[in-house]
Amino acid sequence: MNLWQLMLAECKAILADKAIVVTLFGGVLFYSVLYPLPYLQQVPTEQQVVVVDRDNSSLSRLVTRHADASAKIHILANLGSIDEAQTWIREGKAHGLLVIPANFRRDLLLGKGATLSYGGDASYFLIYSAVAEGLVAAGVDASKQVQLIGLLARGQNPKLAEQSINSITLNSVPAFNSSLGYTPYVVPGLFLLILHQTLLIGTGILGASQWRQKGYWQEVSPSQLVVARLSVFVLIYSVLSSFYLGYCFYWYQVSVAATIAQVALFMLPFLLATGALGIVLSCVFMRRDLPTQLYLIMSMPVLFVSGFVWPIALIPEPLVMASQVIPAVPAIMGMLELNQLGAGWLAIWPKWLQLWGLFAVFMCVAVIAVARKQKQATAINC
Amino acid sequence: MRQLIKRELNSLWQSPWQLALVSYIPLIGVLALWWLFSAGLPRQLPVALVDLDNSQISRMLSRQLAANSVIAPQSFANEVQAIDAMRQAQVYAMVVLPHQLKKDLLTGHHPTIEIRYNSQFLLVGKLLSSQLQLSLAQGLTHIGQQRLLLNGANKATVDVSLTPITNQTTALFNRNNNYVGFLVPPILIALWQLLSMLVFVNSLNKELVFYQDRYYLPSNIGGLIVAKVLLYSPIMLLHSGFILLWLYHYLGLPAAGNLLDLVLAQLAMLLALWLLVLVIFMAMRESARSVSFCTALFAPAFAFMGITFPVNDMPLLAQWWRLVMPSSHYIDSHVSVISYGVQLPQVLAQIGSYWGYLFLLPIIVFLAYHGKKNPHDKANVALANQEASQ
Repeated sequence: MNLWQLMLAECKAILADKAIVVTLFGGVLFYSVLYPLPYLQQVPTEQQVVVVDRDNSSLSRLVTRHADASAKIHILANLGSIDEAQTWIREGKAHGLLVIPANFRRDLLLGKGATLSYGGDASYFLIYSAVAEGLVAAGVDASKQVQLIGLLARGQNPKLAEQSINSITLNSVPAFNSSLGYTPYVVPGLFLLILHQTLLIGTGILGASQWRQKGYWQEVSPSQLVVARLSVFVLIYSVLSSFYLGYCFYWYQVSVAATIAQVALFMLPFLLATGALGIVLSCVFMRRDLPTQLYLIMSMPVLFVSGFVWPIALIPEPLVMASQVIPAVPAIMGMLELNQLGAGWLAIWPKWLQLWGLFAVFMCVAVIAVARKQKQATAINC
Repeated sequence: MRQLIKRELNSLWQSPWQLALVSYIPLIGVLALWWLFSAGLPRQLPVALVDLDNSQISRMLSRQLAANSVIAPQSFANEVQAIDAMRQAQVYAMVVLPHQLKKDLLTGHHPTIEIRYNSQFLLVGKLLSSQLQLSLAQGLTHIGQQRLLLNGANKATVDVSLTPITNQTTALFNRNNNYVGFLVPPILIALWQLLSMLVFVNSLNKELVFYQDRYYLPSNIGGLIVAKVLLYSPIMLLHSGFILLWLYHYLGLPAAGNLLDLVLAQLAMLLALWLLVLVIFMAMRESARSVSFCTALFAPAFAFMGITFPVNDMPLLAQWWRLVMPSSHYIDSHVSVISYGVQLPQVLAQIGSYWGYLFLLPIIVFLAYHGKKNPHDKANVALANQEASQ
């Protein structure tokens, strides 16, 4: 059997196995729709907030109106007491409250100062930050208005008054993901992980089912088998990766900074290392339904240890060190730096080399493991 | 029934993977995921500081930044280097104090301090943006104070005329914005749901009867299922109980309500999960395929819980899909008990939201009846697990 025939046989074996086809093609397609589904609206808007207005003056009503005008906040009702507001939050009808103290307007006009209190349900961080941002912006706005009125009343020139209120501008702008959208945040890392896990599952199921039966895999040398299997899987995954990193990134509005050649160059060792790791681990499985289970349990820890959800600096060092042998971990961070943050090739060079190193190690182990499996199989048959 | 449970225990004992799934894998998973997030509060996040002014005011502002526990300012000589560091994710944000900041302030011009934060890492970026603005604004009020005093304002009125309205923001239910309290419980519940699903599917797959390249259900499938539910529900509840004890007793995270109410909610979630798994198992009747299908269904459960991204802002389709996941029903009860301290009656009312799962019962009965139609009697039938072990 030459290499081409072997690759053809591999292809047939993959396509003949329903479980692999479902995982590789069905799973990858299904997840590309299902995972980003909850995040399609990108930013949380119009969070329900209740107001406890103890002042009921023109100014307190102005603050309420300004808060309601914020895109992040929807004022639901004006309640009589804080207790009542608590009940609303407890029942899930509202997620935040704004308390305007009694004599709010009077104190301000007398120059005594007043305090606006905001509360947000911090059981949900995104809701909390939306509520806090919206209410603080409304409060700051009201504060400036009061200042302006005060300055004008003291006979200041309107233009000068304006300037002395806003003496310095803090221009805070998000970089890389300028819309602050949730899909551009989640999709790049998550999709690489999906590719990683399905590739592992595919090679795992193929191995686990073949080792039990006689077949073409016994007739060739282990290195030939590993090379053929790896090239077939990498070929299939180059198509799936193009779909994920190409079309899906475009569809989910992920910001893209690298050239196609750079992305391809980076994906190559990632797919090779993952495929080789899959072949190594496939030699451990005895049953066909085990690979899916093991990789399913592993997927959440791998996602969180890769460092785009929770900063790597805060993850305990031993976990970070141990996770470096999983190809997805350097790949996710490297790809983010290369493709989303626009770091140059030199910056991700170490991670690229790390992936090649992982590939070399896994490749050697894979050849040894497959050779042992072949020996076992012939020993049983003899 | 006692015999069936004994038989179930026996087969559990003989399967190393199944045994691992009910014993050490959940423990390792729970502890590893907690350890990952154990820092709890984001602290000392690196921020690039480019001070082009190098004046008294700009140095005061950098000291203000350094005083914030979230920010760890790192000095960069120019913007190019800072941008490079940001692209390589070495820093999560950058602050540029412009040239002649002090002079512009003194001469009544209108300088701008530029802040850029990495929103590709959304959680970190948003946190840094608000903290940077907070620290800088505090520093700037010092300058305003000085100016007012120079203009001859009364010391007592200076503070008020600078910020007539003070803002007091309270994070309700999770006072210090602790990530362990916010993110770890839903992650662990999602993991627990996956593990329970796998345990149940594996034990069901063992019962399939193989005949003429098709799988059939054994005739006493009803009793077998009852035995499995009676055995595996308490085992998995032990693990979820461990999660609750670990988080709310050992780590001492605040819990307003009674944890026993949550155990009840977890039991309801497990029963709903069993029903879903039964439907899939009976419709597929092939071990690898039911595992793959269940995996596809339950793997994204965490995204649909509505903790990281609010439910109200999900598209309608996602909200419907969310209702299929037992974990999203449970997490609502979890948040209400832990945060809002609701009592047993409300928890029971929330458990009522599982009513839709009852429609699965007739489907299961129908599928079971259909699957039992074995063309030949059981004498010449090989058990599926025997086939699998060959």
